[in-house]
Amino acid sequence: MEQILEQLPIVLKALNIGFLQTLKLFFVTLIGAFPLGLVIAFGSMSRFKPLSYFTKIIVWIIRGTPLMIQLLIIYYFPGLVLHNPVWGGGETGRFVAASVSFILNYACYFSEIYRGGIQGVPVGQEEAGLVLGMTRGQIFLKITLLQMIKRIVPPMSNEIITLVKDTSLARIIALQEIIWAGQAFMKGSQGISGAIWPLFFTAVYYLICNGMLTVLLGRLEKKLDYFK
Amino acid sequence: MKKILALMLTLVLTLSLTACGDSKEDKDASSASSEESDIAYVKDKGSLVIGITDFEPMDYKDESGEWIGFDADMAKAFAESLGVEAEFVEIDWDNKIMELDGKTIDCVWNGMTLTDEVTSSMSCSNAYCNNAQIVIVPKDKADQYQDTDSLSDLTFAVEAGSAGEEQVKALDLNYTAVKAQADALMEVAAGTSDAAVIDSLMAAAMVGEGTSYADLTYTVGLNNEEYGVGFRKGSDLTKALNEFFSSSYKSGSMTTCAETYGVQAAVIEQ
Repeated sequence: MEQILEQLPIVLKALNIGFLQTLKLFFVTLIGAFPLGLVIAFGSMSRFKPLSYFTKIIVWIIRGTPLMIQLLIIYYFPGLVLHNPVWGGGETGRFVAASVSFILNYACYFSEIYRGGIQGVPVGQEEAGLVLGMTRGQIFLKITLLQMIKRIVPPMSNEIITLVKDTSLARIIALQEIIWAGQAFMKGSQGISGAIWPLFFTAVYYLICNGMLTVLLGRLEKKLDYFK
Repeated sequence: MKKILALMLTLVLTLSLTACGDSKEDKDASSASSEESDIAYVKDKGSLVIGITDFEPMDYKDESGEWIGFDADMAKAFAESLGVEAEFVEIDWDNKIMELDGKTIDCVWNGMTLTDEVTSSMSCSNAYCNNAQIVIVPKDKADQYQDTDSLSDLTFAVEAGSAGEEQVKALDLNYTAVKAQADALMEVAAGTSDAAVIDSLMAAAMVGEGTSYADLTYTVGLNNEEYGVGFRKGSDLTKALNEFFSSSYKSGSMTTCAETYGVQAAVIEQ
C-alpha cells in the first residue's frame, strides 16, 4: 500500500498523458465521423444504383472486418507495399493513421444508424411536404432532419460509449493511449516495474468518462423529447 | 437534390482515387532513390528514426522525459555522426520488422538479440554487447536449481518469440509463452509459474535486492548470445554503423558510455 502511494504521482502523471491521447482520438473521430457518416448514408440510399452498391460494399467491408486489422493495414500498408510511409514513424503520424481508421470505421456504423433514422420518418410526412410544394432539400432540412436526430440519439449514445473504449485498440500501432501507459509499468518504466495496478486503474478513467457522457447524452435525449 | 448529391459523391470519390494515384508516383520516385542508399534517404529526411521499447538500461526515459541508456546514447552519437537528428519512437516489439520494412522507423536499436528470425529479416550490425538467457527462480528455492539437469520438473514462463523461448524449447522443458519478459517475471513472482527465462542484462536491472522483485534471483545461464542493431535489408546504414562502432570503440567513447549504465563488462570489442 505504502509503495502504491509512493508510485501514485508518477503513475497518475503517465496515465493522464495517455488519457489525453485517448480523448484526442475520441473527439477527432466524432468530429470526422458525424458528417462522413451522413455522406455515406446518402450514398447508400441513393437512387443512382452504382453509387449505392459501391457504398454498400464499402460499409460491408469496414463493418465486416475487425478494427484492429484496419488499423494495421492503414498504418503499415503504404510503407510495406507502396514503399512510401505516408504517415511517418513519429507520434503524430501514428495518431493521424489511427484517426483515419477510426473515422472510416465509425462513419460506416453511424451511416447505418442515420439511414434507420431517416427511413423511420413516416413517408406521409414527406408526401405532405411535397403537397405543400417544398423541394426535397427543404423537406430534408425542415421535416426529416430533426425527427431523425431524435430517433438516432439512443443508438448513437451506444456507439459513442463504445468508441471511448475502442480507442484502446490503437495501441496495436503503438499509439500511446492510456492502456499503453498503464501497461508500461508492468514492463518497467520510470523506475517502476512489475506493477499491475496501474493497468487496472485505467478502468477508473474510462468509467468516469463514460459516466459523464451517459449523463450528457441522457440530457440531450430529454431535450429532444418534444417530438413525439 | 439526391441526384446532385450522388454526382458530387462520385466526383469526390474519383478525385480521391486520382489523389492516391498521384502520390503513388511520388512514392516510386522516392523509393527508387532510397533503394540505392538508405543513408541518402535518412539525410534527406534529416532524422534517423530509432524504434525502441522502454528497456532499462538500454533505452529508457530520464526524469525530464528524455530517452537515455546505453543504446539511446550510442544512437544519438551515431545520428550526430551522420549529421541528422535522432528521433526515438516507442514501438510494439512484435511489429518491429513490419515497422522497419514499412519505413515508419529506420532501425531497431534496443538490446536486440541476434536470433535467426532477426538476422534473416533485417540487415544487422556487428554484435556490440554480450548477453545470456538465464533462469529466474524464487530466492528460497535457488539452491535446488543450480544446473540445467535440475530444471526438468519446473514449469517456465518465457516471452513469446524470444531467445528464451528457443532455449526452453531446445531443452524440452514445460513452458508457457507470455507477452513480455516482464510478464514472465510477474508469473514467477505470482507463483503461477515456477521459473522464467529472461535476458541477463535485464535480470541484472530488474531482479534481486533493491528492485521490484527482491524475492527472485537468477541461477543457471542457458546460452550466450549477442546484441545487434537492425536495419532494413540491403541498407548501407549497417556498414556506416559498423564503422562508427569500430571508431568509437577505439577512441574509448563506447566504453565510457557503457560505464555510465553499468554494462561495460558486456561490451564486445569492435
